[in-house]
Amino acid sequence: MKLLSVEGLSVRAGELELVREVSFAIAPGERVGLIGESGSGKSLTALSLMGLLPEGVSASGTAVLGGHRLLGVPEKRLKGLRGRTVSMVFQEPMTALNPLMRVGAQVSEVMTLHGRDRAAARARTLDLLDRVRLPHPAQIARAYPHQLSGGQRQRVMLAIALANEPDLLICDEPTTALDVTVQKQMLELIAEVAPALLFITHDLAVVASMCERVLVMYGGRVVESGPMREVFTRPRHRYTEGLLDASRLTPRGTRLPTIKGSVPSAGAFPEGCVFRNRCPHAGPRCETEPALTGEAHGYACWHPGD
Amino acid sequence: MIVYLVKRLAVLLASTAVAGVVVFAFMALLPGDPAEIALGVNATPEAVAQLRQQYGTDRPPVTQFLDWFGGLVTGDFGTSYVTSSPIGPQIGERLAVTAVLVTGGMVIALLVAVPAGTFAAVHHRNPLGAAISAVSQVGIAIPAFLAGILLVFVFAVKAQALPSGGYVPMAEDPAQWLLSLLLPWLSLGLVQGAVLTRYVRSSVLDVMREDYLRTARAKGRGRMGALWRHGLRNASIPVVTVLGLQLATLLIGAVVVERVFVIPGLGDLLLNGVAGRDLLLVQGVVMVLVVAVLLINFVVDLAYAVLDPRLRGAP
Repeated sequence: MKLLSVEGLSVRAGELELVREVSFAIAPGERVGLIGESGSGKSLTALSLMGLLPEGVSASGTAVLGGHRLLGVPEKRLKGLRGRTVSMVFQEPMTALNPLMRVGAQVSEVMTLHGRDRAAARARTLDLLDRVRLPHPAQIARAYPHQLSGGQRQRVMLAIALANEPDLLICDEPTTALDVTVQKQMLELIAEVAPALLFITHDLAVVASMCERVLVMYGGRVVESGPMREVFTRPRHRYTEGLLDASRLTPRGTRLPTIKGSVPSAGAFPEGCVFRNRCPHAGPRCETEPALTGEAHGYACWHPGD
Repeated sequence: MIVYLVKRLAVLLASTAVAGVVVFAFMALLPGDPAEIALGVNATPEAVAQLRQQYGTDRPPVTQFLDWFGGLVTGDFGTSYVTSSPIGPQIGERLAVTAVLVTGGMVIALLVAVPAGTFAAVHHRNPLGAAISAVSQVGIAIPAFLAGILLVFVFAVKAQALPSGGYVPMAEDPAQWLLSLLLPWLSLGLVQGAVLTRYVRSSVLDVMREDYLRTARAKGRGRMGALWRHGLRNASIPVVTVLGLQLATLLIGAVVVERVFVIPGLGDLLLNGVAGRDLLLVQGVVMVLVVAVLLINFVVDLAYAVLDPRLRGAP
């Protein structure tokens, strides 16, 4: 039984293909991590599921969430799903809330928008603020965003996301902008309250603590996917391997391992395997594109590690 | 909020006092003695001295200033050296006309700019949005008096639908009053509206890129719904700044438009005063215009605080 299933999702901006043929699924209650460097297409994948792609960017393929199609559906239908069946918490809490509106009104808005009456929404707002562990919910509800810290604002965003008890929560780097001390509390909270979770991050340690399964994206493609433990202990794709090496703590005095080169800009990735211009193992075979192979643990690489 | 209000009020009062000094000093520095002007070139020194004493211009400048400035507070602008009539009531009467003219112009400007600017922003990627930008660009290039002359040509001379000038007081005939003001309102309002359209457009465009609009859409609002509920009030903050500046421009622009349409407003009074060397009258009108601009700025500051909660706690 799948909650979300995505098949052949591609995102393009005019001629430029930014995300290519991404397929994955999330089971009810499952927590899936989506990792990769900036520019790998993680955020676009998430935004296309929300129907929130920027102007001039469009998605194709199929994505079905609990029987509702998410792609190629008129905005009117998607509006009814956003904030109710699927919710999203964004990276930057400092700018995500309307500066001119009281916090409480911004939380209850998402409920009245989906049919709850005002009084009920207002009462539930206080419960929600309490649930995301904000102290003095009544006081917070009356505050304006600028009176709250970044961590508090991100909790408010989480309260908004959870308000209508969605089936799927998408978090796009929700702790990247927060202080390290606040990060951990926020992650614990998300892990505790999330129904099913699609968690986007470039921080491997965070994925390891949060998710059961992980998708690795590079150059707009999923290059490896599988159970978190397996992918992290036995990466098959050379990109995943490099990513893990780069994030490992190394003994004092040794060189930090890095992936050579840098992420090309969109449209400048090589033909065939997108990673081959940075891969130490690349050969002539890599000029043809490898498919994602393997059952539970899939990888798209011609000479996988073991 | 109270602290903010008190501070703004203090700024208003202080700048009014400074403005009073500057206006008075400028007038005092101008060559030409009112008594000599009144009596002509053949006057005897005794007669001039006597008239000076009568006008009070023989007193030390500081005393004169305090007397004049103190009078302003009670609405007493003094008595004209030229016409011997009190200046205050004249200014009051003319100010009422100019205020109606400027307010009407501003209302038209807003009625044009807010919908047009918002539409141009929302449709900035298609030809219709670009067309609005182009039209507003043309509008900016046209000065108000030229717009007035063009409007007179079209509506008064060609179509003969509206009077080309003149002013009918409202108490006399409300319908004629409205007709007599229509073209002046349009010539002020359309030009200012064109300028304002561009500000509204860029302000709405900026807001459309804001994260909180994406949040609103993530909650389940459509593009327009999010903009309406969360965008427009945010977009209005920079527009209010421009609006304040424009209102001041409009007040000055009214001086010219009053000439074109023969409307007995403050601008008309000012020009008459200058032509008749009625120094005290000019001094009074200039002071009123300065205070009006200061008041507009004060109201703009208050509007910020009403619109933006972040400013309420700030100094």
